[in-house]
Amino acid sequence: MKDSKVNNDKKQLADDSGATRRVAGKRSRLVASTAALSALGLVAAYGSAAASNHATRHAASVTTITWSASPISTSGPDLRKVLIANFEKAYPNIKVQLISAPTNTDTNESQLETQISGGSSSPDVFMGDVIWPAVFGAHGLAVPLSTKFPKSFFSRFAPGLVAGATYQGKVYAAPFFEDQGFLYYRKDLLKKMNLPVPKTWEELKAESLQLQRAKLVKYGFVWEGADYEGATCDFMEYLTDAGGKVLSSNGKSSALNTPAAVKALTFMRSLVTSGVTPAAITTYQEPQAMNTFDNGQAAFLRNWDYAYSASQSSGSKVIGDVGVAPLPTFQGQSYPGYSNIGGWNLYINPHTRYMSQDLTFINYMTGAAAEHVMATQFSEIPTNESVRVQKSVIAVNPVLATVPHTRLVARPSQTPEYPKVSQAIYQNVNEALAGSESPAKAIANASAGINTALSGGGL
Amino acid sequence: MATLGVVPSTPVTGGGEATPRPAGKHDVNRKRLARLGWSFSTPAFVVIAAFTIFPIGFSVAMSLSHVNVSGSGFSLNGFTGRNYSTLVHAPQWRYALGFTVVYTIVTVLVEVILGTCIALVLERLTKGRGLMMALLLVPWSMITVISAELWSYIYDASYGVLDQIFHAVGLGQPIFLGTPTPAIVAMMVADIWKTTPFVAIIVLAGLVMLPEELYEASEMDGASGWTTFWRVTFPLLRPTIALAVLFRVLQAFGLFDLPFVLTQGGPGYSTTSLAVLGYQVMFQDLNFGPGAAVATSTAVLVLIGCLLFLKVFKAQVGEEGS
Repeated sequence: MKDSKVNNDKKQLADDSGATRRVAGKRSRLVASTAALSALGLVAAYGSAAASNHATRHAASVTTITWSASPISTSGPDLRKVLIANFEKAYPNIKVQLISAPTNTDTNESQLETQISGGSSSPDVFMGDVIWPAVFGAHGLAVPLSTKFPKSFFSRFAPGLVAGATYQGKVYAAPFFEDQGFLYYRKDLLKKMNLPVPKTWEELKAESLQLQRAKLVKYGFVWEGADYEGATCDFMEYLTDAGGKVLSSNGKSSALNTPAAVKALTFMRSLVTSGVTPAAITTYQEPQAMNTFDNGQAAFLRNWDYAYSASQSSGSKVIGDVGVAPLPTFQGQSYPGYSNIGGWNLYINPHTRYMSQDLTFINYMTGAAAEHVMATQFSEIPTNESVRVQKSVIAVNPVLATVPHTRLVARPSQTPEYPKVSQAIYQNVNEALAGSESPAKAIANASAGINTALSGGGL
Repeated sequence: MATLGVVPSTPVTGGGEATPRPAGKHDVNRKRLARLGWSFSTPAFVVIAAFTIFPIGFSVAMSLSHVNVSGSGFSLNGFTGRNYSTLVHAPQWRYALGFTVVYTIVTVLVEVILGTCIALVLERLTKGRGLMMALLLVPWSMITVISAELWSYIYDASYGVLDQIFHAVGLGQPIFLGTPTPAIVAMMVADIWKTTPFVAIIVLAGLVMLPEELYEASEMDGASGWTTFWRVTFPLLRPTIALAVLFRVLQAFGLFDLPFVLTQGGPGYSTTSLAVLGYQVMFQDLNFGPGAAVATSTAVLVLIGCLLFLKVFKAQVGEEGS
């Protein structure tokens, strides 16, 4: 209806310009006047489209909002579509159109930033990484939800999650599902060699070599080492286990250049040089790591929560053989090791024309019903505390049962310079993994890069 | 006929009239035609202004301003030269510049040599030339994003075709896209595969146009094939080759899609071209001022490069008259 009205307006304008054309006799002015008119026409059409939108919005019974989200489930039915269908059933007046976003979080982010800073009113709601609130908040690219929802809304979330979505006192996102690093292992292989689930990184490496030497498996351990955000996540875990950190306590300078950080990166590189991890790790993002593990080519896998259900669905060669545990730590530290916090939030585009519908959508998606579906049917970690603690939910999959036993570490994403900070980390970690830079030099370079980023200088 | 010399751009009035007209009347005609010309080109000009000139101007202005990005777009807050000084002092920019220049020189050189060889062979083909040309155009006609995606399967370090071949013949399992030098070489190969046909087709067109008599004369003088190529074919082909080089340099210097799909600029920043760097700085870090400076400086550099090339080229082939 909205469209047809706009079309009518355009037609009217086209007719008008036709009439003017007939009146304007002089040939020489013909082209110029048409050009001027079409330019005017565009402006007019835009104005009237906006006006007609306004008119139809009140009259229309059904509103369509757009939701940008990258694929969540990697196998089986599409979680996004299941949730949309459920939502539309609950709220027949609101239709949700899914815009499938890129799986690479960096590409996804720059696409949204370009679109929103360019003034686009679509998508209305977008699913964004947990590390985005500072960047999007600082540049006004997301609506501060704390100004739209009552305070009581935020009490539904598990502790710590709202703080992670806060930048300078405002909450910019609603936590949608949480994620963290886990250690997946082959139960069958460990049993065959009578090995325990490794509690230290050193133990994991030794067991891997044992399994590889026995020709039970091609690689020991696969994870994420490509030149992207994922490498920062993995590095954070080793770094924190070794006792290092990225930023100084005031957040204004790098605290990375320490022996602890060098120890962490040296260990990561040693996984490659010892053959425990394939040298191709420098090109591995989550899907490559998961494929290698699911094909039965690796004994251990560091991945996110969704890797479990992927390893247990058709196409996988390790169905029934996969166990999950908290990540190991370095020798001499208390078990378990740190898991990097990941996960996704829901944000609202400041240019949206359907604020109340957007809020309804977010309210539903973070509510008990939707979160229950995510947790039980798709093994995502719910952000809704009431769902999180249900015994029936925990019983459904071993990943959720492991969650209470893990120790978490967050990336230093409370600064709007975070993309550059992370870039300095993952580029140098990646270089060290490839062997083109020594771990000590790579850490020094990363640290220098972080300082440049925080001072607002450099590229 | 004198009028023809005065107004070469309006042969209709000049050539159509048998007797010279008084100057006044002529001027009116010219003005009328000029006005018509302007009014016909206005729509095109408006479109070009809106989609090319304005963005370029805006980008230059941005590169010279303090830029703020917010939900309501960009705002330029005053003049500054800081974006460019940031650029010059940034190791990433210097690396990207060096990488882009080397990449351009190597790929264009190889493409021109290979393309010329292919064109020489094609010209001699008596049968199936059309088919060969059609086949040759397949890589060129493919969208780069798609061909890059295909190459990423070939280069994949776990299940890539090339990886398996190297393994099978005992050359180990190189990580093509995960180590700096192999990644750069791999990308060059993908580029050369795609754009050599373009050079070949242009050179072939030049070859077909060469006068037959010169070849007959050199044959009569008893020149060998090699001598004929260096003394006859190559000098005459120089304008054509220069054209191909110009096109290719312009394109290669803006290298973006291949690294974006294949390596995202990695490993480390070893395959970060100027265009990829500009993208990262602008759209990943939202650092629009320096990002615009990357884009503007790249455009200026390639412009200077091409102008210099044209000048050298003109001086060289001046006497042959391109």
